Amino acid sequence: MTLDSSRSLLIRLFTLAFLVLVPPTAILSLVALSDFEQGMIPELDRKAAAVGRDLAAQVERAVGYGIPIDRLVGMDEFFSPVLEANPEIRYLAVTDERGRVLFLKGAEREALEPHYRSADFDLARDGRKASIADYLDLALPVAEGGRRVGQVHVGFDAGYVRGRLMGILYDVGVVAAVSLIVAFEILLFVVFFNVTGPMKAVGHILDQVRRGDFSRVAAVPSQDEVGRFVRALTAALRSVDDLYRRLMAYIEEVKTAHFDKGVVERVGEVEARVNFLYRFATAGSPKPMHERRATDIRLPLFLFVFAEELSRSFMPLYVGELMRPIPGLTPELITAIPIAVFMACIALATPYGGRVAERLGSRRVFLMGMVPALLGYVMTGLAHSVYDLVLWRAATGVGYALVTMACQRYISKAVSSEARTQGLGVFIGAVLTASVCGTAMGGVVAERFGYQSTFLVSAALVMLSGWMVYRLLSGTAEESGDLREPSRGELAGLLRNWRFSFLVLFAAIPSKMALAGFLFFLAPLHLAAAGFELGDIARTVMLYPIAVVLLSPVVARLADRTGWRAGLVAVGGIVGGLGLVAPALLPGIWPVAVGIVALGVSHGLSASPQLSMVPDVCWIECRNIGQTNVLAFVRLLERLGSVAGPLLAAAFVPVWGLSGAIVALGAIVLGMAAVFAVVSGAYGSGPHISAEEVA
Amino acid sequence: MFWTLSRKVSAALAAILLSTMVLTALFGYHKFHDLMSAQVGSRYSFVVFTIKKNVEDRLSLGLALRQLRQMQDIVEREKVGDANILGIEIYDAKGEILFNTDRGGIGASVAPEWLEPLKGATNHPFALRDEDNLVVGLPLVNTLGKVEGAVVLRYPAAYLENELGDLLAKLAAQWSVVLAVFAVIGVVGALVLFRPVGVKLRAMETALGKVLAEGGEVVPDPGSADPFDARFAEFAAKTREAIDHIKGATDEVERLDRLA
Repeated sequence: MTLDSSRSLLIRLFTLAFLVLVPPTAILSLVALSDFEQGMIPELDRKAAAVGRDLAAQVERAVGYGIPIDRLVGMDEFFSPVLEANPEIRYLAVTDERGRVLFLKGAEREALEPHYRSADFDLARDGRKASIADYLDLALPVAEGGRRVGQVHVGFDAGYVRGRLMGILYDVGVVAAVSLIVAFEILLFVVFFNVTGPMKAVGHILDQVRRGDFSRVAAVPSQDEVGRFVRALTAALRSVDDLYRRLMAYIEEVKTAHFDKGVVERVGEVEARVNFLYRFATAGSPKPMHERRATDIRLPLFLFVFAEELSRSFMPLYVGELMRPIPGLTPELITAIPIAVFMACIALATPYGGRVAERLGSRRVFLMGMVPALLGYVMTGLAHSVYDLVLWRAATGVGYALVTMACQRYISKAVSSEARTQGLGVFIGAVLTASVCGTAMGGVVAERFGYQSTFLVSAALVMLSGWMVYRLLSGTAEESGDLREPSRGELAGLLRNWRFSFLVLFAAIPSKMALAGFLFFLAPLHLAAAGFELGDIARTVMLYPIAVVLLSPVVARLADRTGWRAGLVAVGGIVGGLGLVAPALLPGIWPVAVGIVALGVSHGLSASPQLSMVPDVCWIECRNIGQTNVLAFVRLLERLGSVAGPLLAAAFVPVWGLSGAIVALGAIVLGMAAVFAVVSGAYGSGPHISAEEVA
Repeated sequence: MFWTLSRKVSAALAAILLSTMVLTALFGYHKFHDLMSAQVGSRYSFVVFTIKKNVEDRLSLGLALRQLRQMQDIVEREKVGDANILGIEIYDAKGEILFNTDRGGIGASVAPEWLEPLKGATNHPFALRDEDNLVVGLPLVNTLGKVEGAVVLRYPAAYLENELGDLLAKLAAQWSVVLAVFAVIGVVGALVLFRPVGVKLRAMETALGKVLAEGGEVVPDPGSADPFDARFAEFAAKTREAIDHIKGATDEVERLDRLA
């Protein structure tokens, strides 16, 4: 085991987490499923008996009027409404006293008659239950004048209960998967915070001491084995420091008080030798070394994004519940407004968040952002109308922007410029895993406990993330910002770079337009309209982040290796556009799922290359105003797509319906991607651009 | 040193395991409860449906709802057939109870909200809650499509809990055993995983203490692939060297001081 590297330890820990979480969930689910099935069977039997008794009574009445049992008419019409109203009943049949099928609806005669003919139908009044092929058959006697003349049969599908209970397994699967990811995040945090991080700091101290530098000690306040080890190390360093300071005090005393200049001179030589060989802190004692690590903020960020993603799959449905008619606005537009406002607030607050984070530090801005977010979630859950919902979503958007900017700033300060991609990976990793977990859990929680409870869970998660930042980042030093704010002229100059403008207008904006318009707005509405329950909607929407998570790392490596960034962005855009026009080509609800996966593939293909392209296409601007500023400007511009997407989709729905709106949005995205694909051919490769030539 | 590394990880794993199991059990039970409730409701809806058919057959003969005296026997017979049925009532469109398994209730009026479902679709079953009871009902419609009243059946809301008490107790016991077993596995696993870390750190701490107190050097384990070991050995050596050097320098300064 390598002490200052987490890889092997994490692999073993994740294996342990898998062993501790998955088998018990699976065991309990299967046991519970079997028990639940057994628990439901008596109820099904009672239903079968109720239906059978009613049918038998009616057949007996007809037979009592003197109609022979094999001459009854209209039995199909008699059976049909019962079968339609009771989906668990697969067939109804009437047989004569020898078991010959006289009337049957819902099953094949060949499957049942051999059994009926061989069975003993000397039945008691409460009937006889038998298992025939995949059916559970309840036979009740039909009597006339005390003589049995036949039987009524009610057949249940033996797999019906299991089929209905399978939904439990889907929920359990979601909970188990989310738990594993949460376990991954927590263990990652525990290991980085308690082992790898402190040991890396210890490693730096070891390296300094190896070079003779005793000026710093590792600041690790924990009370575990690592903390104890660090304290032992610190004690050793302090003892050396003490000896040194005593020596220096003695030397100073000798130099000041000794009358023999020769002695003073030789003592001075001793001092110079010691100071030449070793370095000690100029202050009174070794300086504690606080190390920032990008991973420190990962868990709070994960929890915060998790909180937002909980409502992702049902937000339009929640708005729909609160909706009252507003003159001049279509219901779809009213539904889209809270989503668009949320996105607009993120867009507008992001630059401010960046500036404030530079001035006040990440920890303070995170805690500042937590306030509107927390208020937003609680009040969104308690909203009475769309008006106040819009207000609270706006507050949440501002909070979201502040918190995410605080986290980005913390990470960028924690990593060196060479490791910036690694730092970005920490941020994107936390956001994507939170997106998968939050979307999936949100649907399940909302389905079981309601929308309001889900928003309260979001609020609780935000509080937890804030508490973690408050407690855990308190010791880390906050460096003052050095980010230069670009002027409007510089940003306008950026827009005059045609490569940059085309990338933003025909790749970044349509990408976000599709995300917010289709995934956040149209997909939940369409799936709900098709009768999907909240849990199913969430599981379907979850396909998007899963596709991105799976594809992004592979594509990032591919883009770095091949340098084919513009091509990947273009292909991504076209795949996303084609996915959205799927409802025009395929029937039913499946095209929505296809669209979601295609959008995930699209963003998996294009997101990383898109960001990597920015320094290539505006190298001069990145040099002049800073890459961070240029990337922040891209983020701001692409949010225009996030705002426009839901509004555009809402405008299409009254004209073309939900499917048509998806296709229309897809056509726009596809068209813009096609323009980008054509234009990107003229981009050239590497940082050789017209802006540079002009400059 | 209560919060050792293995205890921290054990606590994290146990908390995640507990949350997972609680959520799994909660969601599973809710889903099962929904399905069972729907099934029970569907069975009682069917009972109500058979009574509705009976009433409507008679209404189609031109009889008024109030005149259907046989209905009192029919609803009483249905109640006798199922111990969980608390009552069956037939009331007219104004809310007056005409037939009731509790004969004392005949002539009384139903709560105003029981008349609300009669304003909607005439063939759709409705469900209501009456204190601790659940109610399923169907409107009674004559041949002209006019709503004449409704038939409702009451059964206890705690019916499922009563029916499933044993099953849930058994599941709770299984749940506790599985939780305990896997929590122990988590604790033992964390202990096994972090033991080498603790042992190694303690060994380094002891070796450092010995080097500082007695001299000598830390010898890295030749079988160890961890470069940290070699760096630590150099650290210990450098620290010892610094102590020796500073002590030597102090002795030298003392000697020079005494030269006077």
